[in-house]
Amino acid sequence: MGEELTWGMPVILYLFLAGVGAGAVTVSSSVLLRGGGGDFGGRHFKLARYGALIGPFPVMLGTFLIIFELGRPFRMFNLFKVVNLSPMNIGSWLLMIFITASFLYTLTFLPTFISQWKNLSQRLAPLRTVLAWINVPLGIGVAVYTGVMLGAMPARPLWNSPILALLFLVSALSTGIAMIILVQTLFHKKGADTEAERHFHQSAYLLTSSDAMLIGLELMVIFLFLMFAHLTIGNVKYAVSIILPGGDMAMMFWVWVVAIGLLIPAIIELIFVVPKLVYHRDYSAPRSVEIVVSIAVLVGGFMLRYIIVHAGQVTGPMGL
Amino acid sequence: MTAAAAAAATAIAAIATTLPTRSESKTDTERENGKESRTKRYGMVIDVRRCIGCHACTVACKSEFDVPLGVNRAWVEYVEKGVYPNVGRSFLPRLCNHCSVPPCVTVCPTNATYKRPQDGIVVVDSGLCIGCKYCIQACPYDARFLNPVTGFADKCDFCIHRVSKGLVPSCVNTCVGGARIFGDLGDPNSNISKLIANNQVTVLRREMGTFPNVYYIGADHTDELDAKRPEVRKVQVVTHRRHEERR
Ligand code: SF4
Ligand code: SF4
Ligand code: SF4
Repeated sequence: MGEELTWGMPVILYLFLAGVGAGAVTVSSSVLLRGGGGDFGGRHFKLARYGALIGPFPVMLGTFLIIFELGRPFRMFNLFKVVNLSPMNIGSWLLMIFITASFLYTLTFLPTFISQWKNLSQRLAPLRTVLAWINVPLGIGVAVYTGVMLGAMPARPLWNSPILALLFLVSALSTGIAMIILVQTLFHKKGADTEAERHFHQSAYLLTSSDAMLIGLELMVIFLFLMFAHLTIGNVKYAVSIILPGGDMAMMFWVWVVAIGLLIPAIIELIFVVPKLVYHRDYSAPRSVEIVVSIAVLVGGFMLRYIIVHAGQVTGPMGL
Repeated sequence: MTAAAAAAATAIAAIATTLPTRSESKTDTERENGKESRTKRYGMVIDVRRCIGCHACTVACKSEFDVPLGVNRAWVEYVEKGVYPNVGRSFLPRLCNHCSVPPCVTVCPTNATYKRPQDGIVVVDSGLCIGCKYCIQACPYDARFLNPVTGFADKCDFCIHRVSKGLVPSCVNTCVGGARIFGDLGDPNSNISKLIANNQVTVLRREMGTFPNVYYIGADHTDELDAKRPEVRKVQVVTHRRHEERR
Protein backbone atom coordinates (compact mmCIF):
# COMPACT_ATOMS: atom_id res chain seq x y z
CA MET A 1 0.00 0.00 0.00
CA GLY A 2 3.02 2.24 0.01
CA GLU A 3 2.58 3.14 -3.64
CA GLU A 4 1.63 6.61 -4.69
CA LEU A 5 -2.02 7.17 -5.49
CA THR A 6 -3.37 9.13 -8.42
CA TRP A 7 -5.77 10.80 -6.02
CA GLY A 8 -4.16 11.14 -2.62
CA MET A 9 -4.77 12.85 0.68
CA PRO A 10 -6.02 16.20 -0.69
CA VAL A 11 -8.83 14.43 -2.54
CA ILE A 12 -9.67 12.27 0.47
CA LEU A 13 -9.79 15.32 2.73
CA TYR A 14 -11.82 17.20 0.16
CA LEU A 15 -14.43 14.45 -0.07
CA PHE A 16 -14.69 14.39 3.72
CA LEU A 17 -14.77 18.16 4.26
CA ALA A 18 -17.21 18.77 1.41
CA GLY A 19 -19.45 16.13 2.98
CA VAL A 20 -19.28 17.68 6.46
CA GLY A 21 -19.98 21.18 5.13
CA ALA A 22 -22.74 20.18 2.75
CA GLY A 23 -24.30 18.05 5.50
CA ALA A 24 -24.17 20.84 8.08
CA VAL A 25 -25.73 23.37 5.72
CA THR A 26 -28.43 20.98 4.58
CA VAL A 27 -29.34 20.13 8.16
CA SER A 28 -29.27 23.76 9.25
CA SER A 29 -31.42 24.86 6.32
CA SER A 30 -33.94 22.06 6.81
CA VAL A 31 -34.29 22.83 10.51
CA LEU A 32 -34.81 26.50 9.74
CA LEU A 33 -37.39 25.72 7.07
CA ARG A 34 -39.20 23.07 9.03
CA GLY A 35 -40.40 25.70 11.48
CA GLY A 36 -41.11 28.33 8.87
CA GLY A 37 -40.30 30.93 11.49
CA GLY A 38 -42.76 29.35 13.89
CA ASP A 39 -42.13 27.38 17.02
CA PHE A 40 -39.99 24.60 15.60
CA GLY A 41 -37.60 26.85 13.73
CA GLY A 42 -37.67 29.34 16.55
CA ARG A 43 -36.80 26.82 19.21
CA HIS A 44 -33.98 25.41 17.16
CA PHE A 45 -32.84 28.71 15.78
CA LYS A 46 -29.50 28.42 17.52
CA LEU A 47 -28.98 24.97 16.06
CA ALA A 48 -29.65 26.30 12.56
CA ARG A 49 -27.26 29.14 13.25
CA TYR A 50 -24.47 26.80 14.35
CA GLY A 51 -24.96 24.76 11.17
CA ALA A 52 -24.88 27.89 9.05
CA LEU A 53 -21.76 29.21 10.74
CA ILE A 54 -19.90 25.94 10.17
CA GLY A 55 -21.32 25.17 6.74
CA PRO A 56 -19.31 26.81 3.98
CA PHE A 57 -15.91 26.72 5.66
CA PRO A 58 -15.03 23.02 5.48
CA VAL A 59 -16.20 23.06 1.87
CA MET A 60 -14.01 26.05 1.10
CA LEU A 61 -11.02 24.46 2.81
CA GLY A 62 -11.56 21.19 0.92
CA THR A 63 -11.90 23.03 -2.37
CA PHE A 64 -8.72 24.93 -1.66
CA LEU A 65 -6.89 21.65 -0.98
CA ILE A 66 -8.18 19.94 -4.09
CA ILE A 67 -7.12 22.83 -6.31
CA PHE A 68 -3.53 22.16 -5.37
CA GLU A 69 -3.91 18.50 -6.18
CA LEU A 70 -4.35 19.55 -9.82
CA GLY A 71 -1.39 19.22 -12.15
CA ARG A 72 -1.96 22.86 -13.15
CA PRO A 73 -3.74 24.61 -10.26
CA PHE A 74 -3.86 28.03 -11.86
CA ARG A 75 -5.78 26.66 -14.76
CA MET A 76 -8.78 25.58 -12.73
CA PHE A 77 -10.95 28.20 -14.42
CA ASN A 78 -10.88 26.02 -17.52
CA LEU A 79 -13.47 23.97 -15.66
CA PHE A 80 -15.92 26.81 -16.11
CA LYS A 81 -15.30 27.33 -19.81
CA VAL A 82 -17.51 24.41 -20.71
CA VAL A 83 -20.55 22.54 -19.50
CA ASN A 84 -20.41 18.83 -20.15
CA LEU A 85 -21.65 15.62 -18.59
CA SER A 86 -18.45 14.85 -16.71
CA PRO A 87 -19.39 14.48 -13.03
CA MET A 88 -16.42 16.65 -12.17
CA ASN A 89 -17.67 19.43 -14.42
CA ILE A 90 -21.21 19.33 -13.05
CA GLY A 91 -19.74 19.03 -9.56
CA SER A 92 -17.58 22.11 -10.01
CA TRP A 93 -20.53 24.21 -11.06
CA LEU A 94 -22.58 22.86 -8.16
CA LEU A 95 -19.75 23.52 -5.76
CA MET A 96 -19.30 27.07 -6.94
CA ILE A 97 -23.00 27.87 -6.56
CA PHE A 98 -23.16 26.05 -3.23
CA ILE A 99 -20.20 27.93 -1.76
CA THR A 100 -21.74 31.24 -2.82
CA ALA A 101 -25.23 30.40 -1.59
CA SER A 102 -24.12 28.90 1.71
CA PHE A 103 -21.76 31.78 2.40
CA LEU A 104 -24.56 34.29 1.85
CA TYR A 105 -26.72 32.14 4.11
CA THR A 106 -24.04 32.36 6.80
CA LEU A 107 -23.85 36.14 6.41
CA THR A 108 -27.60 36.50 7.01
CA PHE A 109 -27.06 35.02 10.48
CA LEU A 110 -24.36 37.45 11.55
CA PRO A 111 -26.66 40.34 12.60
CA THR A 112 -28.47 38.02 15.03
CA PHE A 113 -25.46 38.19 17.35
CA ILE A 114 -25.72 41.90 17.92
CA SER A 115 -28.82 43.01 19.77
CA GLN A 116 -28.72 46.53 18.32
CA TRP A 117 -29.07 44.99 14.85
CA LYS A 118 -32.28 43.20 15.66
CA ASN A 119 -34.06 45.24 13.05
CA LEU A 120 -31.68 44.27 10.29
CA SER A 121 -31.79 40.67 11.39
CA GLN A 122 -35.55 40.64 11.12
CA ARG A 123 -35.44 42.21 7.68
CA LEU A 124 -32.97 39.54 6.57
CA ALA A 125 -35.26 36.71 7.70
CA PRO A 126 -37.07 36.27 4.34
CA LEU A 127 -33.72 36.22 2.52
CA ARG A 128 -32.48 33.64 4.99
CA THR A 129 -35.49 31.47 4.22
CA VAL A 130 -35.00 31.80 0.46
CA LEU A 131 -31.33 30.86 0.79
CA ALA A 132 -32.26 27.90 2.98
CA TRP A 133 -34.61 26.69 0.25
CA ILE A 134 -31.76 26.95 -2.25
CA ASN A 135 -29.23 25.34 0.06
CA VAL A 136 -31.11 22.12 0.78
CA PRO A 137 -31.02 20.78 -2.78
CA LEU A 138 -27.56 22.24 -3.39
CA GLY A 139 -26.11 20.63 -0.26
CA ILE A 140 -27.59 17.28 -1.17
CA GLY A 141 -26.29 17.75 -4.71
CA VAL A 142 -22.74 18.44 -3.52
CA ALA A 143 -22.77 15.42 -1.22
CA VAL A 144 -24.17 13.13 -3.91
CA TYR A 145 -21.87 14.31 -6.67
CA THR A 146 -18.76 13.28 -4.72
CA GLY A 147 -20.01 9.70 -4.90
CA VAL A 148 -21.09 9.98 -8.52
CA MET A 149 -17.66 11.28 -9.42
CA LEU A 150 -15.98 8.18 -8.04
CA GLY A 151 -18.70 5.90 -9.38
CA ALA A 152 -18.42 6.95 -13.01
CA MET A 153 -15.61 4.60 -13.98
CA PRO A 154 -15.83 0.93 -14.96
CA ALA A 155 -12.03 0.92 -14.62
CA ARG A 156 -12.50 1.31 -10.84
CA PRO A 157 -14.89 -1.54 -9.99
CA LEU A 158 -14.99 -0.85 -6.25
CA TRP A 159 -16.39 2.63 -6.87
CA ASN A 160 -18.53 1.72 -9.83
CA SER A 161 -21.67 1.23 -7.79
CA PRO A 162 -24.86 3.30 -7.82
CA ILE A 163 -25.13 3.02 -4.07
CA LEU A 164 -21.80 4.70 -3.37
CA ALA A 165 -23.32 8.15 -3.94
CA LEU A 166 -26.07 7.33 -1.47
CA LEU A 167 -23.50 6.13 1.05
CA PHE A 168 -21.62 9.42 0.71
CA LEU A 169 -24.84 11.40 1.06
CA VAL A 170 -25.89 9.65 4.26
CA SER A 171 -22.39 9.91 5.65
CA ALA A 172 -22.30 13.62 4.74
CA LEU A 173 -25.52 14.31 6.63
CA SER A 174 -24.39 12.26 9.60
CA THR A 175 -20.95 13.89 9.82
CA GLY A 176 -22.56 17.30 9.28
CA ILE A 177 -24.79 16.70 12.28
CA ALA A 178 -21.84 15.44 14.31
CA MET A 179 -19.98 18.63 13.50
CA ILE A 180 -22.93 20.75 14.66
CA ILE A 181 -23.20 18.73 17.89
CA LEU A 182 -19.48 19.12 18.49
CA VAL A 183 -19.41 22.87 17.93
CA GLN A 184 -22.66 23.51 19.79
CA THR A 185 -21.42 21.52 22.79
CA LEU A 186 -18.02 23.16 22.81
CA PHE A 187 -19.42 26.68 22.64
CA HIS A 188 -22.37 26.18 24.93
CA LYS A 189 -22.04 27.91 28.27
CA LYS A 190 -24.24 26.58 30.99
CA GLY A 191 -26.45 29.49 31.91
CA ALA A 192 -28.85 30.16 34.73
CA ASP A 193 -31.61 30.62 32.17
CA THR A 194 -33.51 27.32 32.41
CA GLU A 195 -35.52 28.12 29.27
CA ALA A 196 -32.33 28.46 27.17
CA GLU A 197 -30.96 25.33 28.81
CA ARG A 198 -34.10 23.41 27.84
CA HIS A 199 -33.83 24.60 24.24
CA PHE A 200 -30.22 23.55 24.11
CA HIS A 201 -31.10 20.04 25.24
CA GLN A 202 -34.03 19.85 22.85
CA SER A 203 -31.75 20.77 19.97
CA ALA A 204 -29.18 18.25 21.11
CA TYR A 205 -31.90 15.61 21.27
CA LEU A 206 -33.12 16.44 17.78
CA LEU A 207 -29.58 16.20 16.42
CA THR A 208 -28.59 13.07 18.28
CA SER A 209 -31.73 11.15 17.41
CA SER A 210 -31.43 12.15 13.74
CA ASP A 211 -27.82 11.12 13.76
CA ALA A 212 -28.67 7.72 15.25
CA MET A 213 -31.25 7.22 12.51
CA LEU A 214 -28.80 8.23 9.79
CA ILE A 215 -26.18 5.88 11.17
CA GLY A 216 -28.70 3.06 10.99
CA LEU A 217 -29.38 3.97 7.39
CA GLU A 218 -25.66 4.16 6.66
CA LEU A 219 -25.12 0.69 8.08
CA MET A 220 -27.89 -0.57 5.83
CA VAL A 221 -26.33 1.09 2.78
CA ILE A 222 -22.94 -0.40 3.62
CA PHE A 223 -24.55 -3.79 4.02
CA LEU A 224 -26.21 -3.52 0.60
CA PHE A 225 -23.03 -2.22 -0.98
CA LEU A 226 -20.94 -5.12 0.31
CA MET A 227 -23.60 -7.78 -0.12
CA PHE A 228 -24.32 -7.04 -3.74
CA ALA A 229 -20.65 -6.66 -4.58
CA HIS A 230 -19.98 -9.98 -2.92
CA LEU A 231 -22.88 -11.80 -4.56
CA THR A 232 -21.90 -10.87 -8.09
CA ILE A 233 -18.90 -12.33 -9.89
CA GLY A 234 -16.08 -10.66 -11.73
CA ASN A 235 -14.43 -7.29 -11.28
CA VAL A 236 -16.69 -5.93 -8.55
CA LYS A 237 -16.50 -9.03 -6.39
CA TYR A 238 -12.75 -9.17 -6.84
CA ALA A 239 -12.35 -5.50 -5.92
CA VAL A 240 -14.59 -5.54 -2.88
CA SER A 241 -12.74 -8.48 -1.40
CA ILE A 242 -10.09 -5.99 -0.27
CA ILE A 243 -12.40 -4.70 2.48
CA LEU A 244 -14.09 -8.00 3.26
CA PRO A 245 -12.59 -10.30 5.92
CA GLY A 246 -9.22 -11.51 4.69
CA GLY A 247 -8.62 -8.45 2.52
CA ASP A 248 -5.73 -6.04 2.93
CA MET A 249 -7.87 -3.18 4.19
CA ALA A 250 -10.51 -5.21 6.00
CA MET A 251 -9.25 -4.50 9.52
CA MET A 252 -9.11 -0.80 8.88
CA PHE A 253 -12.57 -0.75 7.38
CA TRP A 254 -14.35 -2.81 10.02
CA VAL A 255 -12.61 -1.26 13.01
CA TRP A 256 -12.44 2.40 12.00
CA VAL A 257 -15.50 2.84 9.84
CA VAL A 258 -17.97 0.27 11.09
CA ALA A 259 -17.07 -0.08 14.78
CA ILE A 260 -15.63 3.29 15.79
CA GLY A 261 -17.46 5.42 13.24
CA LEU A 262 -20.89 3.81 13.26
CA LEU A 263 -21.72 1.06 15.74
CA ILE A 264 -20.26 2.51 18.93
CA PRO A 265 -21.58 6.05 18.39
CA ALA A 266 -25.00 4.65 17.45
CA ILE A 267 -25.17 2.57 20.62
CA ILE A 268 -24.12 5.47 22.85
CA GLU A 269 -26.58 7.78 21.11
CA LEU A 270 -29.38 5.29 21.57
CA ILE A 271 -28.61 4.93 25.27
CA PHE A 272 -29.40 8.62 25.67
CA VAL A 273 -32.15 8.88 23.08
CA VAL A 274 -34.30 5.88 23.99
CA PRO A 275 -35.31 7.06 27.51
CA LYS A 276 -36.76 10.22 26.01
CA LEU A 277 -38.25 8.44 23.05
CA VAL A 278 -39.94 5.70 25.02
CA TYR A 279 -40.40 7.03 28.56
CA HIS A 280 -40.53 10.76 27.72
CA ARG A 281 -37.78 11.47 30.17
CA ASP A 282 -35.77 14.63 29.75
CA TYR A 283 -32.88 14.27 27.39
CA SER A 284 -29.56 15.31 28.76
CA ALA A 285 -26.32 13.74 27.63
CA PRO A 286 -23.14 14.72 29.45
CA ARG A 287 -20.91 17.13 27.60
CA SER A 288 -18.04 14.63 27.40
CA VAL A 289 -20.28 12.01 25.80
CA GLU A 290 -21.52 14.46 23.19
CA ILE A 291 -17.96 15.41 22.36
CA VAL A 292 -16.63 11.85 22.17
CA VAL A 293 -19.53 10.59 20.08
CA SER A 294 -19.37 13.40 17.56
CA ILE A 295 -15.62 13.06 17.21
CA ALA A 296 -16.01 9.31 16.65
CA VAL A 297 -18.59 9.93 13.92
CA LEU A 298 -16.31 12.47 12.25
CA VAL A 299 -13.32 10.13 12.42
CA GLY A 300 -15.47 7.35 10.96
CA GLY A 301 -16.59 9.63 8.14
CA PHE A 302 -13.02 10.52 7.32
CA MET A 303 -11.90 6.90 7.42
CA LEU A 304 -14.78 5.93 5.14
CA ARG A 305 -13.52 8.37 2.49
CA TYR A 306 -9.92 7.34 3.11
CA ILE A 307 -10.57 3.62 2.75
CA ILE A 308 -12.95 3.89 -0.20
CA VAL A 309 -10.65 6.24 -2.13
CA HIS A 310 -7.59 4.17 -1.33
CA ALA A 311 -9.10 0.73 -1.91
CA GLY A 312 -10.69 1.85 -5.17
CA GLN A 313 -7.32 2.79 -6.59
CA VAL A 314 -5.33 -0.26 -5.55
CA THR A 315 -7.94 -2.57 -7.07
CA GLY A 316 -8.76 -2.70 -10.74
CA PRO A 317 -10.39 -4.92 -13.30
CA MET A 318 -9.23 -8.52 -13.07
CA GLY A 319 -7.22 -10.00 -15.91
CA LEU A 320 -6.12 -8.23 -19.05
CA MET B 1 -52.36 6.66 -31.67
CA THR B 2 -50.77 4.56 -34.38
CA ALA B 3 -50.25 7.64 -36.47
CA ALA B 4 -48.48 9.31 -33.57
CA ALA B 5 -46.27 6.29 -33.02
CA ALA B 6 -45.44 6.18 -36.72
CA ALA B 7 -44.61 9.86 -36.67
CA ALA B 8 -42.35 9.35 -33.67
CA ALA B 9 -40.63 6.45 -35.40
CA THR B 10 -40.07 8.56 -38.49
CA ALA B 11 -38.67 11.34 -36.37
CA ILE B 12 -36.26 8.97 -34.67
CA ALA B 13 -35.25 7.49 -38.01
CA ALA B 14 -34.73 10.99 -39.35
CA ILE B 15 -32.48 11.87 -36.43
CA ALA B 16 -30.61 8.61 -36.79
CA THR B 17 -29.97 9.22 -40.46
CA THR B 18 -28.98 12.83 -39.99
CA LEU B 19 -26.15 11.91 -37.65
CA PRO B 20 -23.90 10.22 -40.23
CA THR B 21 -24.89 12.75 -42.91
CA ARG B 22 -23.64 15.55 -40.76
CA SER B 23 -20.18 14.06 -40.50
CA GLU B 24 -20.25 13.38 -44.25
CA SER B 25 -21.07 16.97 -45.02
CA LYS B 26 -18.04 17.90 -42.96
CA THR B 27 -16.00 15.63 -45.18
CA ASP B 28 -17.45 17.42 -48.17
CA THR B 29 -16.13 20.75 -47.01
CA GLU B 30 -12.81 19.13 -46.31
CA ARG B 31 -12.78 17.76 -49.82
CA GLU B 32 -13.45 21.24 -51.17
CA ASN B 33 -10.51 22.49 -49.17
CA GLY B 34 -8.40 19.85 -50.83
CA LYS B 35 -7.95 17.94 -47.56
CA GLU B 36 -8.56 14.25 -46.87
CA SER B 37 -11.46 12.85 -48.82
CA ARG B 38 -12.63 10.41 -46.17
CA THR B 39 -12.61 10.26 -42.38
CA LYS B 40 -9.98 7.83 -41.26
CA ARG B 41 -10.01 5.43 -38.35
CA TYR B 42 -6.45 4.92 -37.33
CA GLY B 43 -5.58 1.77 -35.47
CA MET B 44 -2.75 -0.60 -34.78
CA VAL B 45 -2.20 -4.32 -34.94
CA ILE B 46 0.43 -5.75 -32.66
CA ASP B 47 1.61 -9.09 -33.93
CA VAL B 48 3.01 -10.52 -30.72
CA ARG B 49 4.53 -13.47 -32.61
CA ARG B 50 6.96 -11.03 -34.18
CA CYS B 51 7.87 -9.19 -30.97
CA ILE B 52 11.26 -10.01 -29.45
CA GLY B 53 10.82 -7.83 -26.36
CA CYS B 54 13.68 -5.49 -27.22
CA HIS B 55 12.01 -2.26 -25.99
CA ALA B 56 13.01 -0.41 -29.17
CA CYS B 57 9.49 1.02 -29.37
CA THR B 58 9.64 2.20 -25.75
CA VAL B 59 12.91 4.00 -26.42
CA ALA B 60 11.86 5.44 -29.79
CA CYS B 61 8.68 6.82 -28.26
CA LYS B 62 10.59 8.26 -25.31
CA SER B 63 13.03 10.12 -27.53
CA GLU B 64 10.36 11.22 -30.01
CA PHE B 65 8.52 13.12 -27.29
CA ASP B 66 11.15 13.64 -24.60
CA VAL B 67 8.89 11.69 -22.24
CA PRO B 68 10.14 12.35 -18.67
CA LEU B 69 11.77 9.67 -16.56
CA GLY B 70 9.46 7.21 -14.85
CA VAL B 71 6.50 7.53 -17.23
CA ASN B 72 5.78 5.92 -20.59
CA ARG B 73 3.55 6.41 -23.59
CA ALA B 74 4.65 3.02 -24.92
CA TRP B 75 5.97 0.09 -22.95
CA VAL B 76 6.54 -3.65 -23.24
CA GLU B 77 5.38 -6.11 -20.60
CA TYR B 78 6.88 -9.53 -20.06
CA VAL B 79 4.60 -12.35 -18.99
CA GLU B 80 6.30 -15.39 -17.51
CA LYS B 81 4.30 -18.41 -16.54
CA GLY B 82 4.82 -21.98 -15.42
CA VAL B 83 7.52 -23.72 -13.42
CA TYR B 84 10.77 -25.02 -14.91
CA PRO B 85 11.06 -26.97 -17.18
CA ASN B 86 7.54 -26.13 -18.38
CA VAL B 87 7.81 -22.39 -18.60
CA GLY B 88 7.04 -19.73 -21.15
CA ARG B 89 7.67 -16.07 -21.59
CA SER B 90 5.73 -13.80 -23.87
CA PHE B 91 5.83 -10.10 -24.60
CA LEU B 92 3.03 -7.60 -24.68
CA PRO B 93 3.76 -4.22 -26.27
CA ARG B 94 1.38 -1.59 -24.92
CA LEU B 95 0.13 1.88 -25.80
CA CYS B 96 -3.11 3.82 -25.72
CA ASN B 97 -5.88 1.90 -27.46
CA HIS B 98 -7.52 4.97 -28.97
CA CYS B 99 -10.77 3.37 -27.88
CA SER B 100 -13.92 3.82 -29.94
CA VAL B 101 -15.85 4.40 -26.69
CA PRO B 102 -13.16 6.08 -24.60
CA PRO B 103 -14.01 6.46 -20.88
CA CYS B 104 -11.21 9.02 -20.55
CA VAL B 105 -13.20 11.35 -22.83
CA THR B 106 -16.46 10.83 -20.94
CA VAL B 107 -15.02 11.96 -17.62
CA CYS B 108 -12.85 14.88 -18.74
CA PRO B 109 -14.40 17.98 -17.14
CA THR B 110 -12.75 20.50 -19.46
CA ASN B 111 -13.15 18.77 -22.84
CA ALA B 112 -9.35 18.70 -22.98
CA THR B 113 -9.41 15.01 -23.87
CA TYR B 114 -11.37 14.29 -27.02
CA LYS B 115 -11.53 11.87 -29.89
CA ARG B 116 -10.65 13.57 -33.14
CA PRO B 117 -13.55 13.14 -35.55
CA GLN B 118 -11.32 13.11 -38.61
CA ASP B 119 -9.13 10.14 -37.66
CA GLY B 120 -10.29 8.70 -34.33
CA ILE B 121 -7.11 9.62 -32.47
CA VAL B 122 -7.77 10.35 -28.79
CA VAL B 123 -5.78 13.45 -27.84
CA VAL B 124 -5.23 15.75 -24.87
CA ASP B 125 -5.49 19.47 -25.59
CA SER B 126 -2.68 20.83 -23.47
CA GLY B 127 -4.26 24.28 -23.62
CA LEU B 128 -7.32 23.10 -21.72
CA CYS B 129 -6.11 20.31 -19.43
CA ILE B 130 -6.00 21.22 -15.74
CA GLY B 131 -4.27 18.02 -14.65
CA CYS B 132 -7.18 16.76 -12.55
CA LYS B 133 -6.19 13.14 -13.27
CA TYR B 134 -9.77 12.02 -13.69
CA CYS B 135 -8.94 10.53 -17.10
CA ILE B 136 -5.99 8.68 -15.58
CA GLN B 137 -8.39 7.01 -13.14
CA ALA B 138 -10.92 6.25 -15.87
CA CYS B 139 -8.61 4.58 -18.38
CA PRO B 140 -8.91 0.80 -17.89
CA TYR B 141 -5.50 0.32 -19.53
CA ASP B 142 -3.34 2.59 -17.40
CA ALA B 143 -2.31 4.22 -20.66
CA ARG B 144 -2.25 7.75 -19.22
CA PHE B 145 -0.02 9.56 -16.79
CA LEU B 146 0.45 13.03 -15.40
CA ASN B 147 3.44 14.50 -17.16
CA PRO B 148 5.69 15.55 -14.26
CA VAL B 149 7.24 18.35 -16.31
CA THR B 150 4.18 20.00 -17.84
CA GLY B 151 1.53 19.00 -15.27
CA PHE B 152 -0.85 17.85 -18.02
CA ALA B 153 -2.34 14.46 -18.66
CA ASP B 154 -0.27 12.77 -21.31
CA LYS B 155 -0.34 9.61 -23.37
CA CYS B 156 0.29 8.17 -26.82
CA ASP B 157 -1.18 10.34 -29.59
CA PHE B 158 -0.42 7.94 -32.46
CA CYS B 159 2.36 10.35 -33.42
CA ILE B 160 -0.02 12.84 -35.05
CA HIS B 161 2.88 14.99 -36.17
CA ARG B 162 4.35 12.10 -38.16
CA VAL B 163 1.13 10.46 -39.30
CA SER B 164 -0.24 13.74 -40.69
CA LYS B 165 2.81 13.94 -42.92
CA GLY B 166 2.32 10.43 -44.22
CA LEU B 167 4.94 8.79 -41.99
CA VAL B 168 4.26 5.86 -39.69
CA PRO B 169 4.45 6.39 -35.89
CA SER B 170 7.87 6.33 -34.34
CA CYS B 171 7.38 3.03 -32.50
CA VAL B 172 6.19 1.38 -35.72
CA ASN B 173 9.08 2.83 -37.66
CA THR B 174 11.62 1.45 -35.24
CA CYS B 175 10.17 -1.99 -34.54
CA VAL B 176 12.88 -4.51 -35.47
CA GLY B 177 10.53 -7.45 -35.88
CA GLY B 178 7.78 -5.59 -37.69
CA ALA B 179 5.43 -6.41 -34.83
CA ARG B 180 3.66 -3.04 -34.79
CA ILE B 181 1.52 -2.41 -37.85
CA PHE B 182 -0.21 0.95 -38.17
CA GLY B 183 -2.96 1.91 -40.60
CA ASP B 184 -6.49 2.95 -41.42
CA LEU B 185 -9.09 0.51 -40.12
CA GLY B 186 -11.74 2.24 -42.20
CA ASP B 187 -10.08 1.26 -45.47
CA PRO B 188 -10.87 -2.38 -46.27
CA ASN B 189 -7.83 -2.62 -48.54
CA SER B 190 -5.31 -1.36 -46.00
CA ASN B 191 -2.67 -3.77 -44.80
CA ILE B 192 -3.99 -3.55 -41.26
CA SER B 193 -7.61 -4.28 -42.23
CA LYS B 194 -6.48 -7.36 -44.13
CA LEU B 195 -4.41 -8.56 -41.17
CA ILE B 196 -7.41 -8.24 -38.87
CA ALA B 197 -9.64 -10.04 -41.35
CA ASN B 198 -7.22 -12.92 -41.87
CA ASN B 199 -6.05 -13.58 -38.33
CA GLN B 200 -7.41 -14.36 -34.91
CA VAL B 201 -7.26 -11.06 -33.13
CA THR B 202 -7.98 -10.01 -29.56
CA VAL B 203 -8.23 -6.71 -27.73
CA LEU B 204 -7.36 -5.95 -24.12
CA ARG B 205 -10.09 -6.00 -21.45
CA ARG B 206 -12.88 -6.15 -23.97
CA GLU B 207 -15.40 -6.54 -21.14
CA MET B 208 -14.79 -2.87 -20.35
CA GLY B 209 -16.81 -2.00 -23.45
CA THR B 210 -14.25 0.47 -24.75
CA PHE B 211 -13.88 -1.10 -28.23
CA PRO B 212 -10.13 -0.64 -28.50
CA ASN B 213 -8.55 0.16 -31.87
CA VAL B 214 -5.33 -1.63 -31.00
CA TYR B 215 -5.62 -5.28 -31.94
CA TYR B 216 -3.33 -8.09 -30.92
CA ILE B 217 -2.40 -11.24 -32.80
CA GLY B 218 -1.16 -14.08 -30.62
CA ALA B 219 -1.26 -12.12 -27.35
CA ASP B 220 -1.04 -14.02 -24.08
CA HIS B 221 -3.68 -12.47 -21.85
CA THR B 222 -2.43 -14.28 -18.76
CA ASP B 223 -2.46 -12.09 -15.69
CA GLU B 224 -0.94 -12.52 -12.27
CA LEU B 225 -4.40 -13.38 -10.98
CA ASP B 226 -4.33 -16.52 -13.12
CA ALA B 227 -1.62 -17.92 -10.87
CA LYS B 228 -4.43 -18.75 -8.46
CA ARG B 229 -5.50 -21.47 -10.86
CA PRO B 230 -3.70 -24.72 -10.05
CA GLU B 231 -2.76 -25.61 -13.61
CA VAL B 232 -1.08 -22.24 -14.24
CA ARG B 233 1.11 -22.55 -11.13
CA LYS B 234 3.15 -19.42 -11.40
CA VAL B 235 2.82 -16.14 -13.25
CA GLN B 236 5.05 -13.13 -13.15
CA VAL B 237 4.23 -9.97 -15.04
CA VAL B 238 6.98 -7.40 -15.43
CA THR B 239 5.73 -4.09 -16.77
CA HIS B 240 9.10 -2.35 -17.03
CA ARG B 241 7.45 0.82 -15.77
CA ARG B 242 7.82 2.61 -12.49
CA HIS B 243 4.64 0.82 -11.44
CA GLU B 244 6.01 -2.67 -11.46
CA GLU B 245 2.53 -4.13 -11.14
CA ARG B 246 0.05 -4.17 -13.93
CA ARG B 247 -2.92 -1.99 -13.03
S1 SF4 C 1 -6.67 3.36 -23.85
FE1 SF4 C 1 -7.17 4.68 -22.13
S2 SF4 C 1 -6.37 6.66 -22.67
FE2 SF4 C 1 -6.45 5.48 -24.56
S3 SF4 C 1 -8.46 6.00 -25.46
FE3 SF4 C 1 -8.72 4.13 -24.25
S4 SF4 C 1 -9.41 4.88 -22.26
FE4 SF4 C 1 -8.52 6.64 -23.31
S1 SF4 D 1 -6.30 15.55 -16.43
FE1 SF4 D 1 -6.71 16.94 -18.17
S2 SF4 D 1 -7.33 15.61 -19.86
FE2 SF4 D 1 -7.47 14.40 -17.97
S3 SF4 D 1 -9.61 14.60 -17.29
FE3 SF4 D 1 -8.45 16.22 -16.23
S4 SF4 D 1 -8.60 18.01 -17.56
FE4 SF4 D 1 -9.22 16.24 -18.82
S1 SF4 E 1 2.36 5.85 -31.77
FE1 SF4 E 1 3.91 7.42 -31.22
S2 SF4 E 1 3.20 8.16 -29.22
FE2 SF4 E 1 2.12 6.25 -29.58
S3 SF4 E 1 3.38 4.68 -28.59
FE3 SF4 E 1 4.04 4.78 -30.74
S4 SF4 E 1 5.75 6.24 -30.75
FE4 SF4 E 1 4.67 6.52 -28.80
